[in-house]
Amino acid sequence: MQQREEKQLEASLESLHARVAHLKGSLQSFILKLENEHDRLAWPSVLDNFALLSGQLNTINKVLKNEKTPSYRSQVIIPLLLSPDRDEELVKLTEQRVPVFSHEIVPDHLRTKPDPEVEEQEKHLSAEAARIGPEVAQKQIQTLNKLCSNLLEKLNNPRDDRDSESSALRQNKPSFNPADTNALVAAVGFGKGLSKCRPPGSVPPGHPGQPTMSTGPTLQQVTIAGTTGHQAGMGGQVAQQQPGQPGKMPSSIKTNIKSASMHPYNR
Amino acid sequence: MEAPPVTVMPVTGGTINMMEYLLQGSVLDQSLESLLHRLRGLCDNMEPESFADHELVYLLKGQQGNPFMLRARRSLLHPTAPWHLRYLGQPEVGDKSRHALVRNCVDVAASHSLPDFLNEMGFRMDHEFVAKGQVFRKGAMKVVVSKLLRVLASGNTENTEPMSLSYLVELSILAPAGQDTMSEDMRSFAEQLKPLVHLEKIDPKRLM
Repeated sequence: MQQREEKQLEASLESLHARVAHLKGSLQSFILKLENEHDRLAWPSVLDNFALLSGQLNTINKVLKNEKTPSYRSQVIIPLLLSPDRDEELVKLTEQRVPVFSHEIVPDHLRTKPDPEVEEQEKHLSAEAARIGPEVAQKQIQTLNKLCSNLLEKLNNPRDDRDSESSALRQNKPSFNPADTNALVAAVGFGKGLSKCRPPGSVPPGHPGQPTMSTGPTLQQVTIAGTTGHQAGMGGQVAQQQPGQPGKMPSSIKTNIKSASMHPYNR
Repeated sequence: MEAPPVTVMPVTGGTINMMEYLLQGSVLDQSLESLLHRLRGLCDNMEPESFADHELVYLLKGQQGNPFMLRARRSLLHPTAPWHLRYLGQPEVGDKSRHALVRNCVDVAASHSLPDFLNEMGFRMDHEFVAKGQVFRKGAMKVVVSKLLRVLASGNTENTEPMSLSYLVELSILAPAGQDTMSEDMRSFAEQLKPLVHLEKIDPKRLM
């Protein structure tokens, strides 16, 4: 019977030790990361580290709650020999943290009671709990459970209509305006609202306005004689000749190409 | 003695066909600070770059309906830097499940004689605007938060007025054609910016 308990104790201590070592390792790497790479760190990776630590704490809790682990409270550790001499074995075991097993470190490392302040707070809390009575406590537990389950449900089942109504109710300050988005995208895409020689508005882009008149002379220099008539006609009748202009434009461009093809290298 | 052969097609060298993947959204002025804070946390840690650019959009009207559009951009903060000329193709109408707008993109640098050159070629300036804001980077992704300002007098970039009370937020990646994994990364990044900004694929033709 005792042997079985001893074996259980040993096994649970082993697993607890392993979990705590994992936790220590991840804490160490996290601290290293924060110290050395803090300028390269991104928020999602910090969140990942915290999630890892919380997961490991959870497993430690599970190990402690496991029915196979004996109650550690019933175990007592008594120091048998205290000496002010440095103990190399101890140094190796504790990774240089505890060099001497002496009177100074024993109260800290082998303590079983929490700090006096913590003890006070615990006393307060248990007095408070005893004061309010079991029915009130039960009701509080139920409200808490209900709140948690509501919250979980909302988080797990996103629905579009719930999003729209809750965003309207939740904050009166939406952080973006979809109409503005469309206006800006239209402006960047094809200059809606940005026309330079027309009042900003809904005039469709792409109809030759005044600029063609000012560049008329330049084009005339390049094209051959046949098109000058067209150019002048185009420049002169800007607004009324809209349907006629597409008919005139092609000819001027064709002639441009013709004149451009007569370059000196064509032999 | 024979003249050396003249190639008929222009020599394009070894350029890869680059595609731009784009998601756009906007954020109101009052929420700009929170967005910038979030971007500083999420993006690569470097000092955010501010920029002030003057963009001119040139159109070349051909015989067919659609005019050819080129965008010329110069920095107002670095007046001696070269101009940047960009061509953006029509958005690819691939499968609807693709999360980002994909279009062909060609970027070149040009000297300061670019506007005159384009005018001589037959392009006409259709519209211009000034964009001021900040650029953030995360790996291959680029996030640009910019305020669009309307130029009141053509060519005068001092005299500008904001187009709206919002900042335009664009998330883009430039990648060679064929790589479709980008849109997944973009979508997960866009999720992290909600509910401050809703970055989505906005088809410009829908807004015409």
